[in-house]
Amino acid sequence: MRNIHRLLKWGALTAAVIAMFVGLPGCGGPSKPSAQPGDAAGAVHPEGEGSAALGTETAATDAGKKPVIALIMKSLANEFFKTMEDGARTHNAEHAGEYELIAQGIKDELDVNRQIQLVEQMTARPVDAIVIAPADSKALVGVCKKAMDAGVVVINIDNKFDDGVMADKGVKIPFVGPDNRKGAKLVADELAKQLKPGDPVAIIEGVPSAFNGIQRKLGFEDSMKAAGMNIIVSQSARWEMAEANKVVSAMVVSHPELKALLCANDSMALGAVAALKEAGKVGQILVVGYDGISAAKELVAQGAMVGTIEQHADKLAVFGIEYALEMLKSGIAPQDRETAVDLITKSSQ
Amino acid sequence: MKRYRVLADYLGMLLVLGLLIGFFGVTTSGFLTVSTFTTIANQIPDAIIIAVGMTFVLIIAGIDLSVGSILALGGAVLGVCLVKLGWPLPLAIAACVGTGFICGAINGLIVIKWSIPSFIVTLGMMEMARGGAYLVTDSQTQYIGGPIEVIAETSIAGLSLPFYIAIAVVVVAQVVLSGTLFGRHMLAIGANEEAARLSGLRTRYIKWAVFAISGGLSALAAVIQTARMTSADPNMGLGSELQAIAAVVIGGTSLMGGRGSVVSTFFGVLIISVLGYGLAQMGAQDPTKRLVTGAVIVIAVVIDYYRHRLGRENWE
Repeated sequence: MRNIHRLLKWGALTAAVIAMFVGLPGCGGPSKPSAQPGDAAGAVHPEGEGSAALGTETAATDAGKKPVIALIMKSLANEFFKTMEDGARTHNAEHAGEYELIAQGIKDELDVNRQIQLVEQMTARPVDAIVIAPADSKALVGVCKKAMDAGVVVINIDNKFDDGVMADKGVKIPFVGPDNRKGAKLVADELAKQLKPGDPVAIIEGVPSAFNGIQRKLGFEDSMKAAGMNIIVSQSARWEMAEANKVVSAMVVSHPELKALLCANDSMALGAVAALKEAGKVGQILVVGYDGISAAKELVAQGAMVGTIEQHADKLAVFGIEYALEMLKSGIAPQDRETAVDLITKSSQ
Repeated sequence: MKRYRVLADYLGMLLVLGLLIGFFGVTTSGFLTVSTFTTIANQIPDAIIIAVGMTFVLIIAGIDLSVGSILALGGAVLGVCLVKLGWPLPLAIAACVGTGFICGAINGLIVIKWSIPSFIVTLGMMEMARGGAYLVTDSQTQYIGGPIEVIAETSIAGLSLPFYIAIAVVVVAQVVLSGTLFGRHMLAIGANEEAARLSGLRTRYIKWAVFAISGGLSALAAVIQTARMTSADPNMGLGSELQAIAAVVIGGTSLMGGRGSVVSTFFGVLIISVLGYGLAQMGAQDPTKRLVTGAVIVIAVVIDYYRHRLGRENWE
């Protein structure tokens, strides 16, 4: 009897837990994209684990002669890439007659190995084109060259392949995307308008090895030097909100004279603003970010941030896909194509 | 005699802390100020609360790798309930802590039901809860703003409400550990589970409760971290399980179970936080920070080994 009683007790608990988990996604409300047409067709498999996911799609390919485009992303956990993928899905749903989309992502932004495997799988499948946001600007060049040798059109988005490595391998992969350095300069110039020459400022960097992080830092420096500001400290907060919060909390104590913080992404800007709130320095120390995530836009609207940069994440993958389709149709020579970066300020919203 | 040994433990930790503060005080201008210490005090409550749960788990010779992800899931639930569903704050907090408690309860249930090592069970939960956090937030940072700021902005004598909550958690947990039957039984399970079970202790129930508490505390930490950031980021808490384990072990709690103190864990968190804050204030770059923090963890544990060996020779 005791055992049955116990079984019931744990059973009830487990049921409650399952109910909780099933119930949770409902919290998202109607804004969740899970009901998008892409899902029903099984064409989009974020985090697809290889063969099982791929198997379901082969049948679909045989049905028509539509070109198949593989979108290989970085971490789909990141809001920026999620927006990119959602944009691609929507585009695909609207142009379902023109091409078929396979979206794949890796678990975190540094999982280079898995991304190499994905390119190999897509080459073997085969697909007509690969649109890739490489997790590493050097390590992925080789496998993309193999894909091109096998006749697949490769388009580079988001994180530009290293020119040196491409030259070394004798390959040219067109890059479609924003100029991070230009974007960073744009938002920093806006900040400079509210500062006086000679004002001390600080840079909060992303992961030191990331190409876009380096470009943004360079863009910040270009602008601040041109405006005569004094960059007194530059530290990495690894793209993370909590880390930026810690770094900035310490920074405002050790450098109370600071007038502005230039953050290489919006998550870090959010952490920085929280630290300034705690120190009672919002408004005294100005903050700019990069990426244009919704939470940062709200802070810009409130005046807690001077500005951020909109890179049109929802369009980035789409631009790559459109370019791939163009190349497949006309066989034009690959060329880099720059996409827009727009400044978001309180008055622009 | 035992009382002296406990005191000696605390003194050892205070010594390390004093050395760190002295070092940064001498090398870094502006470190020895009131604002340094209030800033640190306002930043550590979430880390303390997670580490308290972890102390319990390590004492019963388990490990909980899912705390960082449960923190993120709790924060995500909190953010979505406040922003998208417009729930009142107390209800949203209840949903958040409840979610964490349930995640912990699942961990505990699986560990006791099939006698699976908690390492692998909580590793699974680490992935599941993180996935849940992305799902709930749609991978977007939820800006909450006003409704949650009150928690972090309420301050008494210059220290924020979360700091007092964290201190309360430490005090209650220490009392539970050293003053109640439940605490004694935890220590007994950690020392020798089979013996504890044969002595008639309800080992399964206690283990389950410890994991559930750890999950609940992680979500409580989520409330505090979310309040400080005024937004819920599904990426928050990445790696905080390892930081919590480091703090607990620096505090002298054995990874083998059967020995530990919540107050020492509190000092462990302080040591790691002072170190991180001091290095940031010095303007140390990321690689340096990681090298130094790692080295200090190892050194602290080696010192702990000798302290305990001396302790045994002197008093036992």
